[in-house]
Amino acid sequence: MNIELINCGFDFDQRFELKNINWTISDTQHWVITGANGSGKSALVAILAGFGDKLTGELLGLPDKVALVSFEAQALLIERERKKDDADIMDVVAVGTTVAEILAEDGSAAEEIADLLAKFELQYLLERSFRALSTGETRKVLLIKAMASQPELLILDEPFDGLDANTLAMLQNYLTQLSKQTNILMVLNRCDEIPAFITHLGYMQQGTLAHTAALTDQQASRELLQLLHIKTSDLQIPVTDISTIKQGLDPGQPLVKLTDIAVKYDQVKIVEDFNWQINPGEHWQLSGPNGSGKTAILSLITGDHPQSYSNDIFVFGFKRGSGESIWQIKQYIGYVSTALQWEYRVGTSLRNVIVSGFYDSIGLYTKASDNQKTIADQWLVLLGMDDRADVSFNKLSFGDQRLLLIARAMVKHPPLLILDEPCLGLDDINRQLVLALIEKICAGGQSTVLYVNHHREDAIAGIERYKEMTKNASNNAEL
Amino acid sequence: MSNNYFNTLTLRDQLEQLGKCRFMHLNEFTEGVDALKGKKIVVVGCGAQGLNQGLNLRDSGLDVSYTLRQAAIDEKRQSWKNATENGFVVGTYQELIPTADVVLNLTPDKQHTPVVNAIMPLMKQGACLSYSHGFNIVEEGMKIREDLTVIMVAPKCPGTEVRAEYVRGFGVPTLIAVHEANDPQGHGLALAKAYAVGTGGHKAGVLMSSFVAEVKSDLMGEQTILCGMLQTGSILCFDKMVEKGVDAGYASKLVQYGWEVVTEALKYGGVTNMLDRLSNPDKIKAFDLAEELKLIMRPLYNKHQDDIIDGTFSSGMMADWANDDANLLGWRADTAETAFEKTPAGDVEISEQEFFDHGILMVAMVKAGVELAFETMTAAGIIAESAYYESLHETPLIANTIARKKLYEMNATISDTAEYGCYLYNHACLPLLADFMKNIDTDVIGKGTTNDDNGVDNARLIEVNSALREHPVETIGGILRGHMSDMKAIV
Repeated sequence: MNIELINCGFDFDQRFELKNINWTISDTQHWVITGANGSGKSALVAILAGFGDKLTGELLGLPDKVALVSFEAQALLIERERKKDDADIMDVVAVGTTVAEILAEDGSAAEEIADLLAKFELQYLLERSFRALSTGETRKVLLIKAMASQPELLILDEPFDGLDANTLAMLQNYLTQLSKQTNILMVLNRCDEIPAFITHLGYMQQGTLAHTAALTDQQASRELLQLLHIKTSDLQIPVTDISTIKQGLDPGQPLVKLTDIAVKYDQVKIVEDFNWQINPGEHWQLSGPNGSGKTAILSLITGDHPQSYSNDIFVFGFKRGSGESIWQIKQYIGYVSTALQWEYRVGTSLRNVIVSGFYDSIGLYTKASDNQKTIADQWLVLLGMDDRADVSFNKLSFGDQRLLLIARAMVKHPPLLILDEPCLGLDDINRQLVLALIEKICAGGQSTVLYVNHHREDAIAGIERYKEMTKNASNNAEL
Repeated sequence: MSNNYFNTLTLRDQLEQLGKCRFMHLNEFTEGVDALKGKKIVVVGCGAQGLNQGLNLRDSGLDVSYTLRQAAIDEKRQSWKNATENGFVVGTYQELIPTADVVLNLTPDKQHTPVVNAIMPLMKQGACLSYSHGFNIVEEGMKIREDLTVIMVAPKCPGTEVRAEYVRGFGVPTLIAVHEANDPQGHGLALAKAYAVGTGGHKAGVLMSSFVAEVKSDLMGEQTILCGMLQTGSILCFDKMVEKGVDAGYASKLVQYGWEVVTEALKYGGVTNMLDRLSNPDKIKAFDLAEELKLIMRPLYNKHQDDIIDGTFSSGMMADWANDDANLLGWRADTAETAFEKTPAGDVEISEQEFFDHGILMVAMVKAGVELAFETMTAAGIIAESAYYESLHETPLIANTIARKKLYEMNATISDTAEYGCYLYNHACLPLLADFMKNIDTDVIGKGTTNDDNGVDNARLIEVNSALREHPVETIGGILRGHMSDMKAIV
């Protein structure tokens, strides 16, 4: 029978809330639930064990025998034992409930318990007081208790935490056997621990089950794990290659200064009387509808627009048209856009695509240094693509390509990072991936970010200056 | 009429000039664009080459402006629009030429004589005049004022490619030369190198050649294998397929895109790799067909080369110029009327491998054309490096234009000179291959062979493989592609 959650909302002592949970677990499925800290993954599985107060929706088909092993459940049991102890007013040292008594509570078969104790090599604990156990020992005892009780649904919240390699392998084996007769749900923080019997993945985000994927759908499950990786791994933005930094910038000078800009095609003015100054450290969001000239303004900054030479443009210490080359300008800019992605039709390796960011080239035409390759590999680790370093770029999914191009843009730690509609054309999970990566970059980098978006609402944390462009209007608002 | 410069040279000088071609090392370009920094560059003409080279030079930090004829400015023609919309200063010859340190003549060959006659008197003492094709100097015998430096910088790609590759951070292979009769200050080479750097060419490989070698090899390549063979092959292969009942849409697609696919294999690994894409029995079949084609076509290739060397070709074409391009325009109209040109590519899926398997004859035609052009050029004293670039290297570039819009696109992209030569070849080659085509069936074009097994005779396969691999175009190709891949780690 299926367990079904339909539009469920749950409250946990008004400390945490789950919203809009829609989830079906069939009896042949075994799930791993992942997500960042605080996303609600423990809460999600706990509701199946009777925790939380249901506010809305329907929870159907829940089996009678559900066993949950989690830190919270562990804490509850310890609390219960502590209360028993407090209640003891006799002036003797209380032994409290023994491990044997705790394990026998559910009426589990004695052989089963003995077998598991032997597997965990814990027979020596049987007569000890449950309260006297170490955290690790308590955990193992609770695992044994849950597994021996032969539940219809076994829920394990971070069961592998703190286990040594031998015990881990034994437990995984045991669960594999058990999975033949019992539905298993697990909460895991690390995607390298997913046992082979797991069939489905769920990804929690801000109190809701945001994404699910069957492991047989390789693309979907890979995206989900990648998102988990970027969201949860404690990764640092790799350092840059000192030798590629050509010259420093004067921190007192604006990065970009556009004065009375006019852009026209075939006598039609697209932009007129446009002024803008971007100072180091001031992150900007540039918004406006199609045709308002956003792309024109960006390409004036990057040097890609031929009318750069007929406008008053000051970028990175250069007055445009004074004998500078566009490569001298591009070395200060990291750039990502859908147009770049269309242009980047190169059958080169993922590593080379990242290295090409040092040279601002589409494709790599220079021998990369070992240091540059090392840095590229560090970025691939951050993206969760290190196993694909030598795969060809054009074999990647659209979303993965976008992630890689963001890494390419950032690899040289550019003074100015231009993200031109970085989520355009991406589905929700890939959008999440890109935004997670950008947040990581904004938090860890020294780049001034210029974020371009259709809609002002799609904001990124930390970007507080807005430049709004309107169609055919001369006075573009600064907010 | 004109005074053919090449024919004024002694045989010794002719051979020396023809044999000039050297692949330059990247470290010969360490001075970048310095020789042109602060110099005023004025481009004459703003078509595809003029505009795109100018955009690259300006983006390399150089001072570029455009000069057009008064009429083009007054009537706001496309060339005027190209230049002004891209934010360039545009002026008349009188306004800009006297200020120029370097004048880049990027007008079509046909206009060179009037253009050079108009600008030469306006050029300042000691300035530099640059060409991207040596026809005017070598074939028309244009005499340039003695104080002027004359150089050539010829990117070996259409103008749009010159720009696209630069924007990617790369460039296109480029040929440079100094006209020895006009290098009074001895700085012609320095200017040509800086110009090649300014367009990005140094990253993709620069060949140092001579005006003579460039003209004689360029003309030969473009009219035989590059354009002529592909045009003739397109028509013959398409007509044969339709005659044998292959669906016309399929036939059209197989030919239109087939050249691009099979020559892509050529680009990566030469003729050998192109044939290696076929099964063993098919490879032997293609080899035998190519041998037969070479036997039939060799006299035609020899005639083209002889006419180019002794000036017969250029005087014939100049006569047509004088006759309002009667031949050229007539042939162009005929091409538009061919069944291949008028049949749109069908909406059918053809896999990459199928283009080889169903296009054995096309593979054979490319092999025969490349080898014949190379053999004929080197026999005429053109050095192997030049012959390689003007035959094998450029074939995929031209094939790409056919994939875009068939023969129309090819003939619109190439120069008038190439187009004229292409029709000349096509007119001679179609009847030449008539008997050969009678024995052709759909096994080699359109449907593929139906071998029950892929067995071949060992000795025969070894013989074919070594003949393929030991051809001189493969030897030089291996070396030059090696140079290229040093710089272009990935294609």
